[in-house]
Amino acid sequence: MTTQYDADVIVVGSGAVGSNAAYELLKQGKSVIVLESGKWIPRWKIVENFRSSPRKGNHNDPYPNQPWAPTSFSPDYIENTGNFKFLPGMLRLVGGTTWHWAAATWRFLPNDMKLRTLYGVGRDWPISYDELEPYYGRAEFNLGVAGSDTQDQSGQGGAGQFPHRSTPYPVPPEAETYYFQRLKARLAPEGFNFIHEPNARTNQPWDGRPGCSGNNNCMPVCPIGAMYSGDVHAKHVVKMGGKVIEDATVYKLEKGSDGKIVAAHYRTSDHKDIRLTARYFIIAANGLETPKLLLMSDVANSSDQVGRNLMDHTGMGLQFLADEPLWPGRGQVQQGGIFNWRDGEFRREHSAIKHALTNTVPNRAITQHLLSQGIVGPELDEKIKDWAARWVDISSVFELLPNPENRIQPSAIRKDALGIPTMTIHYNTDDYIERGAVKAKADYAKFVQTMGGTVINDNTGWQNRDHIMGTVIMGNDAKTSVVDKDCRSWDHSNLFMATTGVIPACGVVNPTLTGVAFAIRAADIIAKEV
Amino acid sequence: MTRSLIAGLGLLTLAAIPHFAMAQDGTDDLIKKGAYIARAADCMACHTNPGGKDYGGGYVISSPLGDIIASNISPSKTYGIGNWSEGQFAKAVREGVAPEGNLYPAMPYTAYSGISDADIHALYVYFMKGTKPVDEAPVKKTNLPFPFSQRWLMAGWNVLYASGKPMPAATTQEGGAKRGEYLVNVLAHCSTCHTPRNIAMSEDQSRFLGGADLGGWHAPNITSDPVSGIGGWSVEDIKSYLRDGSAHGKSQAAGGMAEAVEHSLRHLTDSDLSSIVEYLRTVKPVRDPNQKVPGFSFSTPKPADIAKLDAPIDRSPDAMTLGTSTNGAELYTGACASCHQLNGQGTHDQFYPSLTSNTIVGGPTSQNLVMAILKGVDRATNNGTVAMPAFEGQLNNEQVAAVANYVLSRFGNDALHVSASDVELLKRGGPKPFIARYAHSMSVAGIAAAGLFVLIIIFLLARRKVATR
Repeated sequence: MTTQYDADVIVVGSGAVGSNAAYELLKQGKSVIVLESGKWIPRWKIVENFRSSPRKGNHNDPYPNQPWAPTSFSPDYIENTGNFKFLPGMLRLVGGTTWHWAAATWRFLPNDMKLRTLYGVGRDWPISYDELEPYYGRAEFNLGVAGSDTQDQSGQGGAGQFPHRSTPYPVPPEAETYYFQRLKARLAPEGFNFIHEPNARTNQPWDGRPGCSGNNNCMPVCPIGAMYSGDVHAKHVVKMGGKVIEDATVYKLEKGSDGKIVAAHYRTSDHKDIRLTARYFIIAANGLETPKLLLMSDVANSSDQVGRNLMDHTGMGLQFLADEPLWPGRGQVQQGGIFNWRDGEFRREHSAIKHALTNTVPNRAITQHLLSQGIVGPELDEKIKDWAARWVDISSVFELLPNPENRIQPSAIRKDALGIPTMTIHYNTDDYIERGAVKAKADYAKFVQTMGGTVINDNTGWQNRDHIMGTVIMGNDAKTSVVDKDCRSWDHSNLFMATTGVIPACGVVNPTLTGVAFAIRAADIIAKEV
Repeated sequence: MTRSLIAGLGLLTLAAIPHFAMAQDGTDDLIKKGAYIARAADCMACHTNPGGKDYGGGYVISSPLGDIIASNISPSKTYGIGNWSEGQFAKAVREGVAPEGNLYPAMPYTAYSGISDADIHALYVYFMKGTKPVDEAPVKKTNLPFPFSQRWLMAGWNVLYASGKPMPAATTQEGGAKRGEYLVNVLAHCSTCHTPRNIAMSEDQSRFLGGADLGGWHAPNITSDPVSGIGGWSVEDIKSYLRDGSAHGKSQAAGGMAEAVEHSLRHLTDSDLSSIVEYLRTVKPVRDPNQKVPGFSFSTPKPADIAKLDAPIDRSPDAMTLGTSTNGAELYTGACASCHQLNGQGTHDQFYPSLTSNTIVGGPTSQNLVMAILKGVDRATNNGTVAMPAFEGQLNNEQVAAVANYVLSRFGNDALHVSASDVELLKRGGPKPFIARYAHSMSVAGIAAAGLFVLIIIFLLARRKVATR
């Protein structure tokens, strides 16, 4: 007698990573159910929610924050106990948090994956760049990534393409903004290496998406859908005969007697509990909810590493006025930056650093700043006009090391409207990035000096960067890691994690593309076994 | 054994050489000429599947009666037309009769019947020597229900409607209106879509190029009439439309016309585009008696109530989730205004075109507006690729109707009104012609008798399936 299953594979989470995993499985003829705690919302409605909101700077604001599907900005949803308030912008809807990212889609460097071996700090990845490379290519294709095939992305000033690629970027890079050109023209001679940022804001029609038209609104919502968001593949999943069940918050993974996972239990907003079975399970509920679900279910944690090693690219920023108009805010919200500190022997001593050039229309930030200085009337108008042309905003990120004490856990006491625990996060910054910060500030001084600048703020303190990693850490050893290099749980052979949470050493680049590449690789492996 | 195999392969290679050997006898020029004619006749649009091999066939032409699969016309001897003589080729192209039997008139042979002998020769040389054999058959096969499955029935229809004669090559030389006539009526087969059809589905010559429906879209009136046609367009308007699919302040190409621009018209020489304009200027005007002003003449938007547009919305999580509003203004600002702008003026450079001064908004029918909203636009031009997302997955029929009505009322012909059922009908390809609805029952009842086959021409209504990636 054969067992009946609701699907070959259940995917928990419909974001970019989960939807791509489901899509790849469907392409290979498998039946798939995707469970999503939030709902489908059409883009036009999110645009309306944004347009009508007075809180334009709050990237979660256009998205509903349901008591039964709370976003990270729901008051008290995340309780912090460390020295840093860890609070990423996390959404609950079909398509996930890629509704409001800036769509930076970098590949990690081969050296990022050998941090311990090369520099004696942090952890190594259990997989090499070459092994992951073809999956990076497929992820870039799915997302329609625009990038340069000819740059040394390590930021070390190499002459040609690095790291190696077996396929070209599917979309050519967009033209350089005037802002980027001018900063490059003046800062590059000082030795700063400017690199174009590969991104999933396609600049030509791709997979039903139009080319970017420079609305400069990637965050909190691309009004025309040129920027990739996970709903693209969630829609593909439905078209291909897969199921996406909305309003389905998974609260428990059920273990069978043979050590495999046999079912996922979800709860709806009207408190119905439903149990679905499958041969395989992929948990793609992002780097916070994934470990929370595993811990609540008491699965996959023989290493005691689930939820630990939480890493973000905790960062800081610099705002100054240049001595010439640079006209920021034209085109996309970011286009690249300065990568001298991306790799090198220095990583033994201090963290790698990325300086990204933020290209968001600065009027709101400037106005807010001026008002806080008590400037009003015609002087306010004049200053907004002048400053908005000369504003430079640098956003830097640092490579935090994995630390088991930095962790996310289900709250022991607090619950959301469904009776599911909220989360507690303990996160401390470390000396490794503090030492990096010293170098970054020296760079800041040089930027300001070279651009004849007037500093507005060069002491922002540590900031969230919303790149959640490490919490279901990948490794070679079942005793010290949660998943193997295939993203498979060491404890349950039919349970996979598809999330940036698997990343064991976080480099300085935005991790979503890597999450998608790992998810595609896991889908291939699962498809062979199902 | 091995040796003879190798020898055999050697022979094969030798045999293949003449195909690509560039002879001294002007073959090169003929191939070049043939390639240009193939572009002007838009052979590739149907005979190459998007993403497939050139001329390997497989493109699905979806008609109200079923799918017709474009054939492999590469020089493959097994799967293509590699064994055809020039005479057989000419008969297929101009008369719709291939060595294997009758073609369906999804192949526009009634228009191609006018191709000059010289051009047929060049076209033949191009296909035989200038293209690569695709040694595989299209995956799908044409499979139509009775009576349309009976290809031989086309013979009778052909007697009645496919009797064109080749134009003498001397009259089709570059420059002038006669060349334009050849391009419009023969190669580009414009009338296939732009001329309405009679009950036998043959083109109604009294309304030549007067506009016709197909697959939900409306191929507009392109006669010289200044109100209903394109008599009011400047030469540059028309040329820019053919070249880039866009005439600022007039109209933009979508649907089948976008494909015609992408695959064919944008590749034509400037001289040929001028000839097309010259000829179209001479086409007898056809006037829609209900139309009083040209479709592009609505240039001033009716004002929007700014206070209402920026009114606070219900910010409860349920309301922020619910995307079912049928308030046209709300839908327009959320879904359309990011590109087409609050007052429908488009962007300054018209990369995102204005909805005011636009024939699909101000013209006598709303169906192209509805279809553009549903299906979007994807058009490669010599001036970059243009894309508008398809909204059929994001807006339901009521919402499409609501936003279309808002656009019509503010930016164009406010006498038009779209209902949800209109949207549904267009989604399904528009009203089915008489023949598609009744041919089967009539034939079963035996009423059809000898005349029935005439009706099979329904295929000319073939609408192209939008290629999916």
